[in-house]
Amino acid sequence: MALQHLEFSYEGTPGATIPMEWFHSGVVGSGDMEVLLTRREQQGKVTVKVCTPVRGFDQVWDKVLARFVQESGCGDLELEINDNNATPFIVSLRLKQALQEARGGEPA
Amino acid sequence: MESMIGRGRDAISMIVDPDSFAENQVGNVQVPEGYGPGAVVGTASLNGRPVTILANDAQAVNPRFPVVYFGVIGMEEAYKMASAVYESILADRDKPVGEKRPLLLIVDTPGNGPGKVEEIFGMNKATGAYQLALAEARKAGHAVIAMVIGRAISGAFLCHGLQADHILALPKECGTMIHVMPLTSISRITKMDIERLEELSQESPVFAAGVDFFYRLGGVEEIVPAPEGMRDALARHVELVEALKREGHYEQTGPWSRGALGAERGGRTTRPEVLRRMAEEFAAVSSSYLA
Amino acid sequence: MSYGNGQKMSFLEANARQRANWLVDEGSFTELLGPQDRMTSPHLPALGEAVSFDDGVVTGVGRIGTRPVFVISQEGRFIGGAVGEVHGAKMVGIFRLALDAYKAAAEKHPDDLDAYRPAVVISFETGGVRLHEANAGLLAHAEVMDMIQDTKGKLPVISLIGSKVGCFGGMGFVAAATDAIIMSPLGRLGLTGPEVIEQEMGKEEFDASDKSLVSRTTGGKHKYIMQDCNILVEDTIMGFRRALCDLLAQPYEKVCACRRIGSYQLVKEQMDLVALAVELNPGDAKDVWRYYGNEHPEQLPELETAEFLRVVHRRPKEVR
Repeated sequence: MALQHLEFSYEGTPGATIPMEWFHSGVVGSGDMEVLLTRREQQGKVTVKVCTPVRGFDQVWDKVLARFVQESGCGDLELEINDNNATPFIVSLRLKQALQEARGGEPA
Repeated sequence: MESMIGRGRDAISMIVDPDSFAENQVGNVQVPEGYGPGAVVGTASLNGRPVTILANDAQAVNPRFPVVYFGVIGMEEAYKMASAVYESILADRDKPVGEKRPLLLIVDTPGNGPGKVEEIFGMNKATGAYQLALAEARKAGHAVIAMVIGRAISGAFLCHGLQADHILALPKECGTMIHVMPLTSISRITKMDIERLEELSQESPVFAAGVDFFYRLGGVEEIVPAPEGMRDALARHVELVEALKREGHYEQTGPWSRGALGAERGGRTTRPEVLRRMAEEFAAVSSSYLA
Repeated sequence: MSYGNGQKMSFLEANARQRANWLVDEGSFTELLGPQDRMTSPHLPALGEAVSFDDGVVTGVGRIGTRPVFVISQEGRFIGGAVGEVHGAKMVGIFRLALDAYKAAAEKHPDDLDAYRPAVVISFETGGVRLHEANAGLLAHAEVMDMIQDTKGKLPVISLIGSKVGCFGGMGFVAAATDAIIMSPLGRLGLTGPEVIEQEMGKEEFDASDKSLVSRTTGGKHKYIMQDCNILVEDTIMGFRRALCDLLAQPYEKVCACRRIGSYQLVKEQMDLVALAVELNPGDAKDVWRYYGNEHPEQLPELETAEFLRVVHRRPKEVR
């Protein structure tokens, strides 16, 4: 019943981090999520912490996150996600938007 | 043990000096008979000193506002109580702190008036007006003490009780109820098993219904073991609060002090951390805002 | 989105952080206890409820002209903007800082205080107490009311109501207790939420699913007619910001004159209004609109804001 805490780690692109120390995006509405991106010098690694009320979807998270890291080519980042039943589609969308906003572009 | 639910008027007689209660008489004003019948206001003596009484009458029905019965605070009731508070402030405006008449709130109310007419005309103003009046009296130096004798439910407790300097309550054995919502309703809304909620409420008092939980959160200063003890306990807390105010320790009274009490009793420990960090963060940037 | 484009955005659609940033002068907003502090609710995890780094409220300080403006902006999408321990403490914290800032301003600018007097601005989007931590939320409401009383005579507290969730429950009277209320026609303000009234009075008397009924009873236009909303604006960030700036440019006494409760005199005025409620015994808010001289009350809900403001008759300040 309690909230789930999941942790993941991916080999990202060294140096492909964000320009500021941290960046926040999103609202934890129903079916939505927020993400806090933090710059971390960690040999390109992208580490992810997910806090979610949903159980049993560890592998789905892993797939969505791995794909995001690969497609966006980001690195040296920590992502902290507070999720409230977001679908995999929403998760990828929000992550892409967050990274884009952090890099100074308008969200997609 | 004896329950005081629905017995606001009995509680008044048990608390004040015998035959001293003059209903509807506060300061220079006589409240019209029958106005806001769900609320009882007036002046009495406590150990020979004048006090303003503000109570619920759960037996009364307001013929003009059908949602007002069973101790509900409607628009007339809330403004009647607010007027009695302002009259008390006016009557003692030239007296020094410590000599201003105390205000005693006798609390047994299940809610604020929940109706269509109430919303059209603004029930939120009525309950807000009474709270502001109480806060003003408190800050002007009156001792404001609440005694929960029955139900102190959610917004009605905010209206009539939570603006007091100190809050006392009879124990749950007397049938006293303090909550926002019973656990059964919380269970329905959060879709959690009632058994699990009961188990969780043992560790954390923040959502469970009951006097003891409010005590741990600092929402109640003292639990008075039995109705016979109400009179002495109220007199004692009047003295305590007046002593604090004479010394200028207003921060040790009222809602703010209950925040500190909640941390001390282990019920609300994050609140002080939030306040501390906000102050710290503002201090770091304040020079660019405070020109 | 840029500040300039943000101004054109719907207040209703914007999120709490956007509102906070765009209501004050460009680039002046500093969030206090923002997401980077990760101050989530300590109570929600055990109940399996999602947490948020800001606990559903954006708090911080910005500037309007020379004046520091302390902002509380609630996020309705997170548990309906409901108030728990952290959320409530953040509100209280903002008031404490504003009161300290007032003290500093009063010392530094005794002759020119109106230009430097801090303000508190609350963008409400909430149903009041958060059930998952109900007791802590309830106690926080009492603290906020206590703080509002502390601001009287010192600094203006201004309510903005134009969000999806509206402003109900305990926060309904918190808003009533502030100095001035700015709403859009989409804003909702009340004590008892529509569903609870339906439960109490029956569907025949109050159908909570009837959106126009809910709007007539609690919406910005109705509250404006009743003088329970002081300024009615279009549903844009700019609409709210302009009204806020104009209001703060007034001498403090003018802002205080917007109050509806908070003194014996005002309570007497409200008692006259309650007597009128008895006399009229309206079946619908439209009956009251007609009483105040609106000959075709049924047309008011349809009107564009500007047209509505041009034709509407409001409750005269001296009730009858």
